[in-house]
Amino acid sequence: MKKILLITAVAFLLFSFKTDTSYGIPSGEKLVFVGSYNMSGLMTQLAQVTLSTDIVSTSKNSYLHLNCELETYAKWDKFFKIRDLYESYVDPITLKPSLYKRSIDEGGWTKKEKYVFKGNSVTSTSKRKNSPETTKTFAIGGSTQDVVSIMYKLRTMDLSKMKTNQSQAFTVVFDEKQIPVTVKLLGTETISAGNLGSKNCYKLSIGAKTDVLKGKDKNLIYLTADTKKVPVLMKFSIPVGTGQLALTSATGI
Amino acid sequence: MRKTFLTIAIILTVLSVILSALPLDTLALAPIGLALVFIFITFKKSEIDERKVPKRLFIVVYLCAIVVLGKTFLIKDKVAVDTKFEKQKIENKQEAKKDLEDLESIDKDLH
Repeated sequence: MKKILLITAVAFLLFSFKTDTSYGIPSGEKLVFVGSYNMSGLMTQLAQVTLSTDIVSTSKNSYLHLNCELETYAKWDKFFKIRDLYESYVDPITLKPSLYKRSIDEGGWTKKEKYVFKGNSVTSTSKRKNSPETTKTFAIGGSTQDVVSIMYKLRTMDLSKMKTNQSQAFTVVFDEKQIPVTVKLLGTETISAGNLGSKNCYKLSIGAKTDVLKGKDKNLIYLTADTKKVPVLMKFSIPVGTGQLALTSATGI
Repeated sequence: MRKTFLTIAIILTVLSVILSALPLDTLALAPIGLALVFIFITFKKSEIDERKVPKRLFIVVYLCAIVVLGKTFLIKDKVAVDTKFEKQKIENKQEAKKDLEDLESIDKDLH
């Protein structure tokens, strides 16, 4: 399930294209997806993935809290219960991350991570079940995002300026290292978008220099071809199978 | 040969019933599909007076398929209310707020 989350996150990759200043990420937005996995040739609904935003204020600053939750449906909990939480605290305007937290519980196996962004370096703290806590500091590029904030960064970009089959390379931090990723625009398609109805969407292909993703143009994300760029469908292909995340409900957009 | 196919068909049918009863969704379709294939082969290799068992196996597997597909398409999936997870989310947010305050203090010291 970790892989699915990575793919989901990477799927919304950062573009270095001109920012679409007409749209910012709103606080109070909530997107609910149904996560399905291919079992016996049919897509089987396994989990609910929720992306939500809210404002968190400290004594000096306000941050946009980007929250990504993954919960298996009740009927699967007895077999393999998953409760994953991915959070990013970013600048509300630039979406530059200050803090990224990951707390996963997958069938009893737990892991907690915390990445603190300080300029061009990240200090990560990681604690796995039955293992001592480790700390690592590594350098990052100026535009490197975490896997949650990059989802939202993409939505502020002007994809209408991209040409079909045009691709771009980017970098995200995940598992205490930087991962190079490429995104390619494949065109537009009409996709069913839950309570939003049918929407014309940008079809993007995701590639990463990692063993997590498999196949060429088999990891796809569809964003509504409007200023909001709501993610409505994500298809992924990993070494152990294929699956998808489909939008069921979008509120506060 | 007929007995071998019949044995495999019976095993797969039992497996189909078990997996259909469990909340494993379409996973049960794998043994159901295989069971149908072996039942069909057994049926073809059987004399007319030997077709009673394959026919009954077919009915059982057919019902399993209906149950599995019915559960898949008609029953809405729900996430359980998990108070532990909700509590964890609140605690995470409080910890994050403290971490952000600490980060701001470090930034202030550097400047």
